[in-house]
Amino acid sequence: MVHPFYTPFFTVFRTEVLLNLRRVAPYFMALLCGGNALLWWGWGPAKGRGLAANSEAFISGVLPIYSFMTLPLFTAVIMADPVIRDFRAEIGPLIFSKPVGRFIYLLGKFFGSFFVLACGQAAFVVTLFVLQWFSRPGVTQQGVKVVPYFKHFLVFVVISHLVLAAFYFAVGTLTRNAKIVYALGVCFYPLIMSYNLFFLNGLPSRWARTLDPLVMRWGQKRGDVHTLSAEAFNTLVVTYDAELILNRAVMLLIAAGILTLVYRRFIIAEPAQKIHFSFLNLSTASERISFEPLINWDEQDHEARRAPLALPTVNVDGTGVRASFRKLIAALAIEFRLLLAERSIVVIIPFAVLLSTMEVIFWRVRPDGSSASYVTNIAGNSLLFVIGISIFYIGEALQRDRDLKIESLVWSQPISNSVLLVSRFLATLLLVCILLGSVGLIAVLAQALKGDRPLELMTYLRVYFWILIPNAIFLSAAALFLKVLLRDRYLTYIAAIGTCIGLFYMYSQGYNRWLYNPLLFRLWKCEDLLSGNNLSQIAQHRVYVLTIALVLVALAHLFYQRRSGRRVRRAR
Amino acid sequence: MLAIEGLNKTYQSGVHALKDVTLDVPPGMFGLLGPNGAGKTTLMKILATLLEPDSGTVRMRDTDLITEKHRTRMMLGYLPQDFGFYPSLTAEQTLHYFARLKGVHDRKERHSLVNALLERVNLESARRQKVGGFSGGMRQRLGIAQALIGKPALLIVDEPTAGLDPEERARFHNLLAETFAEESVVLLSTHIVSDVSNLCSNMAIIRQGKIIASCAPSYAIKELTNSVWEATLTREQIDAVKSRCKLLSSHMYNGMMRIRVISPRERPGEEFTQTTPTIEDYYFNLVSQS
Repeated sequence: MVHPFYTPFFTVFRTEVLLNLRRVAPYFMALLCGGNALLWWGWGPAKGRGLAANSEAFISGVLPIYSFMTLPLFTAVIMADPVIRDFRAEIGPLIFSKPVGRFIYLLGKFFGSFFVLACGQAAFVVTLFVLQWFSRPGVTQQGVKVVPYFKHFLVFVVISHLVLAAFYFAVGTLTRNAKIVYALGVCFYPLIMSYNLFFLNGLPSRWARTLDPLVMRWGQKRGDVHTLSAEAFNTLVVTYDAELILNRAVMLLIAAGILTLVYRRFIIAEPAQKIHFSFLNLSTASERISFEPLINWDEQDHEARRAPLALPTVNVDGTGVRASFRKLIAALAIEFRLLLAERSIVVIIPFAVLLSTMEVIFWRVRPDGSSASYVTNIAGNSLLFVIGISIFYIGEALQRDRDLKIESLVWSQPISNSVLLVSRFLATLLLVCILLGSVGLIAVLAQALKGDRPLELMTYLRVYFWILIPNAIFLSAAALFLKVLLRDRYLTYIAAIGTCIGLFYMYSQGYNRWLYNPLLFRLWKCEDLLSGNNLSQIAQHRVYVLTIALVLVALAHLFYQRRSGRRVRRAR
Repeated sequence: MLAIEGLNKTYQSGVHALKDVTLDVPPGMFGLLGPNGAGKTTLMKILATLLEPDSGTVRMRDTDLITEKHRTRMMLGYLPQDFGFYPSLTAEQTLHYFARLKGVHDRKERHSLVNALLERVNLESARRQKVGGFSGGMRQRLGIAQALIGKPALLIVDEPTAGLDPEERARFHNLLAETFAEESVVLLSTHIVSDVSNLCSNMAIIRQGKIIASCAPSYAIKELTNSVWEATLTREQIDAVKSRCKLLSSHMYNGMMRIRVISPRERPGEEFTQTTPTIEDYYFNLVSQS
């Protein structure tokens, strides 16, 4: 009998775990989850109210929120490419030429990645568990507990994310495109909200609770625990009722169903539409493979006798500011064309435009339906997309040459680093501006069609000029700097998203000052721009932000290295 | 014309890829021959300004290739061993892009150059096809087309025929032979001996980061004239032959081993017949010596 540790399943599982441990994402997630637990413990709702931070009610109440707020994007990142990675590295044929079945392979891949994901997520409960031995003024604690942490974590987090992980794994494996999974990860909140709003809300409450993947509704069923006295809250015993057990069983069944579907649909061979010589499955390549007719040797002889065609003499102007500017224009044109060829654009831009304008199209725009209300609304709603698109597409633009192995061809051309960097920066900025422009145009049309008056185009233009465009410039510059500094695109995404989450959390806690709020989040009002009361202060801030953006681009230029950029270590 | 002197390169992993490489490359086609991992690509990357050497100089005309990178890139055409293109661009768009990066800004001139290049590499009919759908040979030809933009004084071609079928290889050889202009240097790095013997007027052999020979292929063949012998033997007989003379190469043929040996002074055995030496013999002889 084969030792379980030497079975093909365990080998695939173990390799997947080891591969994931070499990535930054699990560690970053664990760090973020640990930090999150610390905040819930020391600065959360239990503080100062006599609610014990290690009471069962607190633990079971916190976990679904934690599971909803922090984790879905990480689940997408980790579960997107276990199989894609093998095919990208062209190791798939080597694996499948060994006696490893598809079932074992997929199972090993899935559970290997999910194990790492769950370990990262567990940093939250482990931190809460360890914090039982610490004290802080205002934080109440009961005697040390062990089981509730891990029991509730398993029920409220692991099972919920098992479904989500199976879904992301299925999409990644069957489409062989991690970008689609990331897009779904980014769209998680709008999708789950729509699911709740348009589907679950229409069902009887019992069914709604059974089909709620993140068990957010189960907490509602327990009643408002906030009205309980601290003493009652601390002694509350959390038991799983039949509805919860049914919900979890349904989720496990759905996960199993999704994995079965993956098993049935997964093919070892490359998809028929595989794009040859494309190393990044982002761009829309040609739909067919070109082959030339076989050589006609008579023709070949004729060709050989024919004198070779002379190449025309051309003027090559490769130096000077003017030449650099022309090269920048050429690079920008291609960069922008390549950005538009990204498949994810087709989904993300319309989606971002829709979500940014949904409120102004479908609902009454508060407070008064004026242009100021409209533009303030779209400015707020589009902020998340402006941040996401700047970060994501700068990362893609800077990584593309390496992925496509065109880097050496481009780097051996007589172009400066500034042309390479600025073209990518401007292309991404242009993309963001197109998004903002579309959102603004739709808002103006919506206001006109809904008959909300007065329609003041200058109000829109002012907000764009003072707030949105400088924000886009800053975000693109910051993303460029981060990508150049960190080099790895995923590390950049994580660092950028982490920074944004940290900053927005700080702002929400009241630590909101102009100095460290480059996007002026919640620090501007449309009236400021219209009345001119705070305009000079806003103008100063914008100059400050644009200066930082300029410095960041300059620093990116300084840190950017072609392979040959290393200092020469030779004695002359 | 291209003078490489005392070039050294050690990677962070500790691999000493180039050991005091010194080489004079005259105008024309120059072949750099060596087994896999000999340091050919490292040398090519240094010449193409993509890698920094630890020590040494490389000069061409009055340009220092190590320090004057922009000037070098102006006169450089480079076809790397492993490269790709933007799959969503057509062949024509790709060449226009590289021409603009090279500094060919005049629209009319650029159009005529791109047309001529596409015709030269026989891709006129595929000019509007996306590069993502190109076959290996077509991609390689597009690669050489982009390297020819601006009539480079130094054309570096790294392992261009690896992975190509015989037809495409023949085409590529013709193309390379046609493209080099007088007073320009075409540096062809390869591990395929016939590439060098078919194309190059001069060559060097590199092994384990060192240049072990540099000469004209005709000289190499002349050096082995009347020294190379061929025979078809059984495996058992080969061991006996090995003690008498140096084995150059062997391959299976109808269950027997066909071997080539070098024996300058005498016939190694009755079963041997004298044969015309090839570059391959010279290469194996040198490699086994080193």
